[in-house]
Amino acid sequence: MTFSLTMSPSDLLLLLPEILLTCWLCVVLIVDFSFPRLPKEQLAYLSIAGLVGTLGCLAWFDISGISGTLFANMFVVDRMALFFKMFVVGATILVILASMEFVHRFKFFRGEYYFLVVMSALGMMFMASANDLLSVFVTLEFSTFGFYVLVSYLREDVASNEAGLKFFILGVFAAGLLAYGISLVYGETGKLVFSDMKSAQATPGLIIGFLLIFGALGFKIGAVPFHSWIPDTYHGSPTPVTAFLSIAPKGAAFAILLRMFFVALATFKPTWVLLLVAASILSMTYGNIVAIAQKNIKRLLAYSGIAQVGNVLIGLAAGTKMGNDAILFYLLTYLFANLGAFAIVIAVSQAIGSEEIDDYSGLGRRSPFLAFSMLIFLLSLAGVPPLAGFIGKLYIFVAAIKEGLYTLITVGLINIVISMYYYLIVVKKMYITEPHDPSPLAVSGPMKAVVYIGLAGTLIIGVYPQPVIDWVVAATMMFSDLAGPAAALPTVPPVVSSGG
Amino acid sequence: MSDYTLLYILFAPFAGAIALIFASNRQALLVRGIAAGSAGISLLASLYLFYAYDPVKGGYQFVQKYEWSKQLGIALHLGVDGIGTPLVLASSILLFAGIFVSWHIKDRTKEFYIWLLILAAATIGVFMSLDLFFLYFFYEMSVIPMYLLLGMWGSHTKKYLEMTDPEGLKLRDSVGFIFNFGANSKEYAAMKLVLFLSAFAVAALMGILLIYRYSGLNTFDILQLREHANLMNIPVLGTTLDKIIWVLIFFGFASIAPLWPLHSWSPVGHAAAPAATSMLHAGVLMKLGHFSIIRVAFEILPDTTRELMPIAAVLCMFSIIYGGFVAFYAKDTKYVIGYSSSSHMGYVFLGMAALDYISLSGAVIYMFAHAMATGMLFAMAGWVYDQTHTRDIPSLGGLSNRMPFIAGCFVIGCMASIGMPGTVNFIAEVMIIVGSWSKYPLQVIVAVVGIVLTLAYLFKMMRGLFYGPMDQKYSHSHDAVAAVDRLPLLIMISVSIGFGLFPMHLYNVVRSGVDPLVARITQVVPVAHTGEGAGMTGVTMMPERTPDVPLVANNPVPRTPHASRGSE
Repeated sequence: MTFSLTMSPSDLLLLLPEILLTCWLCVVLIVDFSFPRLPKEQLAYLSIAGLVGTLGCLAWFDISGISGTLFANMFVVDRMALFFKMFVVGATILVILASMEFVHRFKFFRGEYYFLVVMSALGMMFMASANDLLSVFVTLEFSTFGFYVLVSYLREDVASNEAGLKFFILGVFAAGLLAYGISLVYGETGKLVFSDMKSAQATPGLIIGFLLIFGALGFKIGAVPFHSWIPDTYHGSPTPVTAFLSIAPKGAAFAILLRMFFVALATFKPTWVLLLVAASILSMTYGNIVAIAQKNIKRLLAYSGIAQVGNVLIGLAAGTKMGNDAILFYLLTYLFANLGAFAIVIAVSQAIGSEEIDDYSGLGRRSPFLAFSMLIFLLSLAGVPPLAGFIGKLYIFVAAIKEGLYTLITVGLINIVISMYYYLIVVKKMYITEPHDPSPLAVSGPMKAVVYIGLAGTLIIGVYPQPVIDWVVAATMMFSDLAGPAAALPTVPPVVSSGG
Repeated sequence: MSDYTLLYILFAPFAGAIALIFASNRQALLVRGIAAGSAGISLLASLYLFYAYDPVKGGYQFVQKYEWSKQLGIALHLGVDGIGTPLVLASSILLFAGIFVSWHIKDRTKEFYIWLLILAAATIGVFMSLDLFFLYFFYEMSVIPMYLLLGMWGSHTKKYLEMTDPEGLKLRDSVGFIFNFGANSKEYAAMKLVLFLSAFAVAALMGILLIYRYSGLNTFDILQLREHANLMNIPVLGTTLDKIIWVLIFFGFASIAPLWPLHSWSPVGHAAAPAATSMLHAGVLMKLGHFSIIRVAFEILPDTTRELMPIAAVLCMFSIIYGGFVAFYAKDTKYVIGYSSSSHMGYVFLGMAALDYISLSGAVIYMFAHAMATGMLFAMAGWVYDQTHTRDIPSLGGLSNRMPFIAGCFVIGCMASIGMPGTVNFIAEVMIIVGSWSKYPLQVIVAVVGIVLTLAYLFKMMRGLFYGPMDQKYSHSHDAVAAVDRLPLLIMISVSIGFGLFPMHLYNVVRSGVDPLVARITQVVPVAHTGEGAGMTGVTMMPERTPDVPLVANNPVPRTPHASRGSE
C-alpha cells in the first residue's frame, strides 16, 4: 500500500470544515489567553460562531453534493459523513449553549472548557469520515482525549474525579482492544481500508479482530456488555459534559459502525446480524430494567441511554439501507430529546442544586415551562406519538420487520412499555407530587434557547417527518447497492397478489 | 369529495389546545371560552358530518388523503363510514359536555383543558383514520393525557388516605399497597392504566407491523390492505399467520374495550378520574377498542374474523356477568358506573361476535347509546362528589331534596343505561339480542340476565344516593342551577331520547357501514337487498339471516366490494 500525500487545492476543499474549525479552535484559545479578563460568555459565543460557520460549510457541501476521498481512502467525505458531522456540530452548539451557566461552577480553566469541547467535536467530525482502520483508531482517540479531561472537570468533586478515572481506565482499555483488533485484522487481510476487505475470508483471526473492534466501538456507544462505565461516568461528570457524552460520540461511533458492517463486512451479514441482535436485546432489557431503580435523574438518563442504543442497534441488525436510514433518523430524534432532557436537568440543578428525582417534585407548579418541556422530552424518549421518538422507533421497527427480526421487535416493543414506567415516574414527580418548596425557578436565556430548539425538533419531526426522512434516505444512498444483494435473505414470500 | 369537515372536527380541539398554551390561568373565563369554543366547532362540524353522510351511497365519505411519508408508506388518510360517523359525533358531544361538566375546576384550569382537548381529539382521530399508522398514532396519543388527567385532577378512593400497609406503615408507595384492590391511589390508577394500555397497544402494533410486512405492499393504508393484502395460509409456529395477527390485533385493542380478563385497569381508572375524564374514558375511549377491532381485524382479515370471533362470544359472557355482579356489590359510585360500563361493553362484543347485520348494527348503535348514558351518569356522579366529597354510597342518601334536577336526570340516565324504550339504548339492545339469538342463544340469555343486573345495581345506587334519610353534613350541597351546569346533562339526555324516538337516520347510517362489512365477512348478502347492491335504503327490520346454502350460491359476494365501499 502506498500513501500519496500530495494534496491539491480540491483535496483541501474536502477538509475545509475541519480546517475551519481547527483554525477557529486556535482563535478561541488565543483569545482566551490574550484577554484573561474577558467574560467567558464571550468565549462561548465565539466558539458557537465558529461552529455555526462550520455547520454552514457542511450544509453547503451537502447541498452542492461535494464528496470524495482523501489520503488513499483514509478519509471520506460523503453525504453520510456530512450528516454525522452536522449531527456532531449541532450537538456541540447545543451543549455549549447549555454549559454557559454551568461553567461558573468550575474553579479553574473556564476558558479551556470551550476549547476542549470544540476539540472533541473536531475529533468526532474526523470520526465521521474515517474510512480505514488506522483513521478509526486515530480519530477515536483524538475525540476521546478531550473527554478524558472534560469528564473530570469538577476538580473538587470526588464523583467527578471518580468518573474521570473510570472513564480513562476503561477508555484506554477499549483503545487497547481496538489496537489489538486492528492488528489482527491487518495481519489476516493485509488491508486497512474498509472497502478493500470485501473479499476477505472468515478466518478466526479476522473474526476475533472484528469482535475486538466492535467491542471498542460498543464501549463508545455504551452497548451492553460494554456499558459498565456509563452510569458512574454520566453521574459524576459535569452535566453538560454528560449531555455531550451521551449523544455526540454515539453518533460518530455509529458512522464508523455503519461503514464497518456495510462496507468491510457486507459478506458476513448473517453472522453479524446475530451479534447485533444479542447486543441489542441485552442493551434494551438491561438498560430499561435497571433504570427503574434509579433515584438520580442523570443515572436514569444514563440507563435509558443504554436502552436507546439497544434500539438503534435494532436498525443496524436489520442490515438494510432502510435500517440505516432509520438509525440516522433515530439518532436525530434522540439528539433533540436527550439534549433537551439534559438541558432541563442542568437548569433544575442550577436552580435547586439537586439532581435527585425526588427533588423534581412539583416542578409542574414551580416552573411549568421546564416541566412541560421535560414531559415532552421524556415522552419522546419513551416513544409516544406525536413526538419524534415515536416516529424514530416506528421507523426502526418497520426496517427490522421487513427483515423478519420478530424476536428483536417483540423485545423492543416490550421494552417500550418498561421504559414508559420509569419515564412516567419522573412525570409523576413533576406533575402529581406537590412541591417541597413552591418557589418558582429561574431559567437563563441560553438554556431556554436549547430547550426551545429541542422542543421544536421533537415536535416538528414528530408531526411532519418527511423532510428529515428524505434527508436521511439521501445520506445513506451509498449503501443502496451494498446492502442490496446481501439483503436478499430467503424469508419474504413475495405476496403482492390481487386478493381477488 | 373535497370537503374539509373531518379536518375541522379533528383539528379544532388541537387548535384549541395550542391556543390555550398561550392563555393565562388567571383569565379563567377566557380559558374556558377557548376550550368550549373549539369543542363547539368540533361538535357543529360533526353534527354536519352526521347529517351530511349519505347512507344510500355508503362507503367511506369525506375522504381526505395527504401523503405523509412515502418511504414508510404512510398517508394521513381520513374518512368515515357508517360506523365511524356516529362515534365521531358521540366523541364531540361528550367533549363539549365534558368542558361544561368541568367548568368549576380551579386548579390549573388551562392545563386541564389542554389535556382534555388532546384526549378527545386523539380519540376522534382514531374514529376517522383509514391508515393503520395513524390509527395507532392517535390511539397511543390518547393514553398519555389520561395519565395526566387522572394524576393531576383525579381523586383517591375513599379508604386510601386512612390506609396503612401490612407493616402498619403509612408508606403508600410500598408493594403492599399494590395488592390492595379495594382502595387505590390516583397515581396507582393512572400508572396502571397507562402501562396496561401501552402493553396491549404494542401487541396491536406488532400485529399491524406483521400486516405491513406480509402484505408486501409497503403501505399502512387500510383501504389498500383490505383489497390486496393476502395474509391467509402462511404457516407460522404451528398455526397460520393470519390467526396470530388476528389474536394480536383483537386482544391488543380489546384491552381498552375492556374485555373481561383485561378489564382491571378500567374501573380503577374511572374511580380515580375527574368527571369529564371518566365521561370521555367510558363514553368514547373504550369504544376505541371495538372500533379498532372492526376497522383492522374485520376489514383486513374477514375470513379469520369469521373463524375466530367465537372467542369474543365466550369472553363477552364473563364481561357481562362479572361486571354486573361487581357493580352490584361495589360501594363507590364511580366503581358502580365503571363496572357497569365494562359489563355493557360485553353487549357490544356479543353484537360483534354474532357477525350479523342486525347485531353488528346494534353493537355500533349501542356504542353511541352507551356513550350518552354513561356520560350522563359519570357527569352526575362527579357532581355529587363535588358537592359531598364522597362517593361512598352507604354514607350518602336523600340527596333528591337538595338536588332535584340532578336526581331527575339521574333517573333518566339510569333508564337510558338499562335500555328503557324511548332511549336509543333500547333500540341497540333489542337489535343485539335479536341479531345474535340465532347464533348465540346462551349469550343472549346471559345478556338478558345482565340487563336485570343493570336494573338492580343502578336502582340500588339511585336509591342509595337520592332517597332515604340524608346525613345532615350534606345539607349544604347544591343542585345544578346554573345554565353551564345543566347544559351538558340536557344535551346528553336530549340526544339519547331524540335518537331513541327518531332512530331512522342513525340506523341508516350505521347499516350503510355494517352491511358491506358483514357481507364481506360472512359472504352472504342481506336478504332484503339482493339485487340492489349493499347500499341501505329502508328501515325494514331484517328477518334473521339464515345462511342457507342457496343464498350463498345465488348471491356470491365478490371479495372486492369496491363498488359499495370505495373511497371515491
